[in-house]
Amino acid sequence: MVRAALASKRKIGEGPKSFAMFVPAATVVATSLLAALPIVDQSGWYPDFGFLVLIGWRLLRSDPWPGWWAAPMGLANDLVTGSPVGLSIALWTATMLALDLVDRRTMWRDYWIEWGLAAVLIAINEWLQWRVAALAGARVPIETVVPPLMISICLFPLCGWLVSRVDRWRLGR
Amino acid sequence: MATARPGWSRRAQYSLFFSFLALIAGIFVGLFLLALSLLAPARFETIRGAALDITGPIASGLHEVTATAEGLVTGAGDYWDAAGQNGRLKREGAAMRRQIIQAKAIVQENRQLKAALHLREAQHDAIAVGRLVGSSFNSPRRFAILSVGTSDGVRIGMPVRAPDGLVGRVIDAGALASRVLLVSDRANIVPARLLRGGIPVISQGRGDGTIDVRPLEVGRNPFKRGDIIITSGTGGLYPPLVPIARVVKLDDDGAVAIPLADPAITSFAIVEPPYEPAAAAETP
Repeated sequence: MVRAALASKRKIGEGPKSFAMFVPAATVVATSLLAALPIVDQSGWYPDFGFLVLIGWRLLRSDPWPGWWAAPMGLANDLVTGSPVGLSIALWTATMLALDLVDRRTMWRDYWIEWGLAAVLIAINEWLQWRVAALAGARVPIETVVPPLMISICLFPLCGWLVSRVDRWRLGR
Repeated sequence: MATARPGWSRRAQYSLFFSFLALIAGIFVGLFLLALSLLAPARFETIRGAALDITGPIASGLHEVTATAEGLVTGAGDYWDAAGQNGRLKREGAAMRRQIIQAKAIVQENRQLKAALHLREAQHDAIAVGRLVGSSFNSPRRFAILSVGTSDGVRIGMPVRAPDGLVGRVIDAGALASRVLLVSDRANIVPARLLRGGIPVISQGRGDGTIDVRPLEVGRNPFKRGDIIITSGTGGLYPPLVPIARVVKLDDDGAVAIPLADPAITSFAIVEPPYEPAAAAETP
């Protein structure tokens, strides 16, 4: 352990990237853009990639971006995915606020708590999407939301791991 | 910003407070825009069209790549069991030829009958032909992205069909791409009828790629497995006699059907003008 800690692979002179501040937000927008992939699928079971990466960053660090950046990122997500404009703006900003409040309450965190928190947030996201679709005239049975919800929750750890890798890269660690 | 106590610094306290205010303002802006886009969707037409012009061409370009790759794979697969396939296709071709001759005779007869009745039918030419290059794969809504836009003459509200059947109607149009509300979306209600017997029915998407069909008149369930649903032309938006779906399962007062034009494998989608132009003005 001690030897492993001493034998750092870190290269001397390699610090944070000059654009490190914008990397988290850029990755969120980039994953939102996955909606432009030529996938024609009618099940709707794919996860909300942008949202997964957003909470992945926010659960990893408390300051990946100034909180209000969630609003423009949400707008980009709305426009790219074709959901009603304003849904992700409100939801993503509310997520930032909720996690700030959670941060003030929690004494400690571990993987299970983070996964549980993420699961709750993903469930709220799916439910709101379903509710807004119902308001827009497309009331599908709530059971149809369960498979994408399960898939998203199972995918979150992978997403968090990828985010942590990007975080280490941008900080030059 | 998330620390509970930023210390004694007045500046830090204020910046924490204002960041909270900014978040709350962001939530309200979002809710306001959401209410606006639910109540007055037309307000966002331009910006949504502009966004489509960014993502549409990306999807189109990548679609070419995946289509080529898929073509190579299926092309190789076609050589496998080529002799058996050849025989089967020949039999199908012969059966098809007989049916085509029959259908041609019926069309001719139909034309004569219509001429006798002095019925005039509006001719509808395709406005544009595009490909379905993307879809809303992570939401309860069923949208697809079509690779043609207003520069090709596509307008919001126009019906979209494929050679196999009805695809849906245009709901967002950018200059280079447009978004189609598929028939399998819950909000897409199509006046239809049963090909066998002509009983009027209503087709409504179920949000999972299938369609609910219900008879207009309550009573005995008129559906059978394998029944074909076609558009009736009522309402004036969709042209009549376009096949929509095939019934696969019956339930208590209707049936579940699968769209005949599967957006995932449909190679071309044809945008047509609304069947009766007055209907276009009413569609949201």
